[in-house]
Amino acid sequence: MSHDGHHSIVIPAPGPEFVPHTVAHHFDSPVQEFQSMKLGFWLFLATEILLFGGLFAAYFYFHEAFPETFRVGGAQLDWRLGAVNTTVLLVSSWTMAMGVRCAQTSQKQKTLMFCALTLVGAVAFMVIKFFEYKAKNDHGLVVFSELFSGYNEATGQLAWFKDYDGVMANVPHGHMFFAIYLTMTAIHGLHVVIGAGLIIWIMKGTAKGRFHAGYYLPVDLVGLYWHLVDLIWIFLFPLLYLVP
Amino acid sequence: MSAHTHNDHGHAHADAGHDHGGGLQMGHHHVSSAAMFFNVLAILLVLTIVTVAVSRFDFGGANMLIAMGIASVKASLVIAIFMHMKWDTAINKIVFLSSFLFLSLLFIFTLADQATRRVDHEMHTTRTPVDKQWVHPSTLEKH
Repeated sequence: MSHDGHHSIVIPAPGPEFVPHTVAHHFDSPVQEFQSMKLGFWLFLATEILLFGGLFAAYFYFHEAFPETFRVGGAQLDWRLGAVNTTVLLVSSWTMAMGVRCAQTSQKQKTLMFCALTLVGAVAFMVIKFFEYKAKNDHGLVVFSELFSGYNEATGQLAWFKDYDGVMANVPHGHMFFAIYLTMTAIHGLHVVIGAGLIIWIMKGTAKGRFHAGYYLPVDLVGLYWHLVDLIWIFLFPLLYLVP
Repeated sequence: MSAHTHNDHGHAHADAGHDHGGGLQMGHHHVSSAAMFFNVLAILLVLTIVTVAVSRFDFGGANMLIAMGIASVKASLVIAIFMHMKWDTAINKIVFLSSFLFLSLLFIFTLADQATRRVDHEMHTTRTPVDKQWVHPSTLEKH
């Protein structure tokens, strides 16, 4: 009962503004294609959870070891900017969910609109992040130009941690909080940038009419990726900006 | 649902007993109501305000548990509703949610280590009286 490989399966377009989808030849059916791709993507998302999980484990370990360092370090971040960024990501997660829903119901223009709104959220998040990083750079808490310079030979100090205002002078290992802050937010930010690129790709396909009720899989998967970005931030916000 | 009208387009490939054209074209897809999505967003935003509000109070060691508890509720809503996990297949649920199970093992053993060892962190770095800065041990050995 296996597919003979000579006839490709075509999912018809629901309207003139859409194009039909041809099921990849190595799948027997549209269902198999959908479920295989979806399972593969959930597996990938599981590895993403484990990637960030390692960083969260590091956070919890050092938070336990140096609670004062984390409290004082967290106070150096602007929780208002963090809260604004949390709101931006939550709203963009909603617009993405709506975008997927509109793709499922073959509403081309609405899919484009919701994807565009999600993209605005991604850009807004990164702009706010840029100004946060700039402030950290200006106070010498994360000196970006010295990030890979290791230790200063003469003083034995970390090259990227200068703490011009001495805000971390009275707590041990002040650099530890900012090392974790930078690593976690930078890897998260990288995901935001990749997600934005994927959303642009989805918008191109949507404009061409590739995604509709019969085939919306790529929109669905990019949506899942974007929700994961939101998911990680939900934990990063209280841990970094409101250090418990 | 237009996706389920596929079996009437007379595709020669569809054969008896095959999933194709059997109303399962895209699998068990679920189109959530827009109202539910909006309600979830509203709850997520309210919980964000709650997160900030409770951080203003000192509950001692409970602050971390409260913050992570609220974050977990928010994360669960995102996974179940926005990510459609509630309506997804059992295998997808197992694959994704098992990552949290393995993550909890990492956390448990890491924190068990942290909680049961006595480390004199002064062994690793030392504050020099001159500049009140923390210096790397490699430089201390030269003195």
